[in-house]
Amino acid sequence: MLCLTLAGAAPAPPASLEYAVKASYLYKFAPFVQWPPQAFASPDAPITICILGDDPFGPMLDDVVKGQHVEAHPYLVRRIRAAARGMGCNILFLAHPTTQSPAEALRAVAGEPVLTVTDGAAASAGGMIQFQLQDGRVRFNADEAAAEASGVPISSKLLDLAASVHRAAK
Amino acid sequence: MRGTSTSKLRPRLAAVALATLAWNGAAHAQSIEDLQHMSIGDLANIDVTSVTKTPQSLSDAPAAIFVITHDDIVRSGATTVPEMLRLAPNLQVEQTASSQYVITARGLNGNGQAQNFSDKLLVLIDGRTVWTPLFSGVYWDMQQVAPDDIDRIEVISGPGAALWGANAVNGVINIITRKAGETQGLLVNVEGGSLQGRADVQFGGKIGDNLSFRAYLSDIYGGDLLTATGARAHDAWTDPQGGFRFDWTPTAADAVTLQGDAEQGDEQQQGAGDEFISGRNLLARWNHVSSNGATLQVQAFYDRESRETLDAGGEFAADTYDLDVQNSFAAGHGHQITWGGGLRTTHYEIQDQIGVASSLIFQPASGNLNLAQVFAQDSWAITDTLTLIGGIKLEDDPYSHLSALPSLRLGWKPNSTLFFWGAASQAIRAPTPFDEDVVEKSGPEVFLTGEQGFLPEKLTAYEGGARALVGSRLSISASVFYNVYDDLRSIEVNPATFLPLHWGNGLAGHTYGVEAWADYQVAPWWWLSAAVDTLSEHFHFLPGSSGLLGISQLGDDPSQQASLKSSMNLGSAVTLDADLRYVGALPNPVVPSYVELNGRLAWNVSRHVRLSVSGFNLLHSRHIEAPAPAEAIPRSVLAGLQWRF
Repeated sequence: MLCLTLAGAAPAPPASLEYAVKASYLYKFAPFVQWPPQAFASPDAPITICILGDDPFGPMLDDVVKGQHVEAHPYLVRRIRAAARGMGCNILFLAHPTTQSPAEALRAVAGEPVLTVTDGAAASAGGMIQFQLQDGRVRFNADEAAAEASGVPISSKLLDLAASVHRAAK
Repeated sequence: MRGTSTSKLRPRLAAVALATLAWNGAAHAQSIEDLQHMSIGDLANIDVTSVTKTPQSLSDAPAAIFVITHDDIVRSGATTVPEMLRLAPNLQVEQTASSQYVITARGLNGNGQAQNFSDKLLVLIDGRTVWTPLFSGVYWDMQQVAPDDIDRIEVISGPGAALWGANAVNGVINIITRKAGETQGLLVNVEGGSLQGRADVQFGGKIGDNLSFRAYLSDIYGGDLLTATGARAHDAWTDPQGGFRFDWTPTAADAVTLQGDAEQGDEQQQGAGDEFISGRNLLARWNHVSSNGATLQVQAFYDRESRETLDAGGEFAADTYDLDVQNSFAAGHGHQITWGGGLRTTHYEIQDQIGVASSLIFQPASGNLNLAQVFAQDSWAITDTLTLIGGIKLEDDPYSHLSALPSLRLGWKPNSTLFFWGAASQAIRAPTPFDEDVVEKSGPEVFLTGEQGFLPEKLTAYEGGARALVGSRLSISASVFYNVYDDLRSIEVNPATFLPLHWGNGLAGHTYGVEAWADYQVAPWWWLSAAVDTLSEHFHFLPGSSGLLGISQLGDDPSQQASLKSSMNLGSAVTLDADLRYVGALPNPVVPSYVELNGRLAWNVSRHVRLSVSGFNLLHSRHIEAPAPAEAIPRSVLAGLQWRF
């Protein structure tokens, strides 16, 4: 329910450790991704992380990115209801989109320089980075081909950390 | 972009590498800082299924708020709302009879002899106000919520007038139940013991993808407490209740809730006939989030409550209809505006209580109480770390004129482990039929009347506090308050004939105190919590007041309370909890201080079955929490069995 509280008052139930780790991953991916120059309006424009649909992170994500920078870019977190072209997201996270199917959401940003990160139900639909739990630990699979095709190539240093990689055709 | 950014990260990683070496792989991320310092490779080593406490997000609420979590409630063994409220260190909870409690925050718990009741709390269940507009108090015996269905209880000590309005004077208690989607399947809960029992049957399901529901039946039993001589007090009670909740998310941006409950209870009364309590309510709420992040909430509820006794009349029924709207949106330059309004009307009917020795009559005996309010609040993020919240509410109460209740709060969060806040606000306790319309007779003689033109009781509160996360295992919260009260209810005499007495607004004064609590994780399986609060009260009669019954009529409040809680996870299936509490002596009438201990041992036999045994008030065979005629509370045990199918 929308609590009848002073704005920002009620402490939301803390995100689980699993989502705290995934939140940290989300912003730590950025240095390993190369966005084209037109993805940022200025050298200090924010790297926008868009959360599509149900937000499993809560204020944890905003706290974890506070004060972090990649070169001069700070981070900005936005929660959105639907994915569409030209939204201005640099990283798009989806786990449980509610107005679109995961496949529709991924199609909407295909070809745009958006790093798509999927989790939960959406992970099987695709995504350049898909979270998965292995042995109680948060790992990820990487789709190098999809990232290159959309103009956001992923550094091999990150691909080396992935549990599995779908390589781009050379 | 890649090259320079990773080289910038490298020095930081090197600095922390020494620390991570010591962790030897199985990293424990206890704080936001830990996570920020870890390399991306280290994140892959964290075991997210371990029982360690998750990184805390430090609350930035500029108020003295304590959240009783679902786990706190289940692990305490409490079966009724007042017993759950004992878990909040910023509340005073006193049990006076099997079904009766006096609960307040920051003092002024009233005095039965002076017919002064704890009337300065706003209590909400899922947004529905549950205090009685007839005298501003709460009938705690009529508020049953199954412990397993509660998501959390937010207890805010201090005024919250700018948003909630009517009666949020000394505190606000917000009981929030779980969504229907979180209580699915069939649940059967049976608890029985030496002094109380509880049974719940609940079923939750889904209809399609977007609609989930639950329906329940429950009953609660409270046994006889003891009189001062140790005899049974004959005040046992039961309160069977049933209800439902539907949660529907037709689109990503909308959530609709419909919930309702109905109860019909029976309380034995010491030396009097049984009292029957009955309530039913229906609440509908729509939450909408628009694409720019603005939120809209529209809520309507109907609430009927009635009480009757077989002895000498004394029945009342009140039907409340309420409509509230609230909108919140970002307005640029860091401003978040919240505004809204509400209308409430309560139709009440009171049956006069006529007796040979004394009578309680209301003139008029029935009527409509109409309340209208509008409010606006601006939460301004002046900088990244500093937020100023200014709000005002205009309230048109049933009897009094328009009141303007302002509130100003400042919050400073220099980093993610420290938060400071300060606030100044005003609140009122508006007049009720008991203040204005009551006529009390002693035999044929009118003894006391209400006061037409009774003024609202006023509070101006100055508060401040700090919260800190110290390292990864300790969190501390402390707040101080200085409350200035005016126009508190007093008893005045008729200048010519002495009788009849009438209510007046002849008391004023101030209170101040400290509320502090801390949580410490001793080991991954063991948490300790400690709390302390103090209260200092200074009241006086205003010039011209009769001074009848003295200052003690305002409240019989302990000047200090403290508690120590221990929570242990023994292995993967057993939990052991203990809660030691100290309540200081009550000044006038005198009630000695007491120390008592509650405990609970639970065994999760499987994913479907949980056994538990709880003990309450274990240290003494019986103890008293409030002045006569309050009863003594004996030691008791309770065993429980819960099946989830």
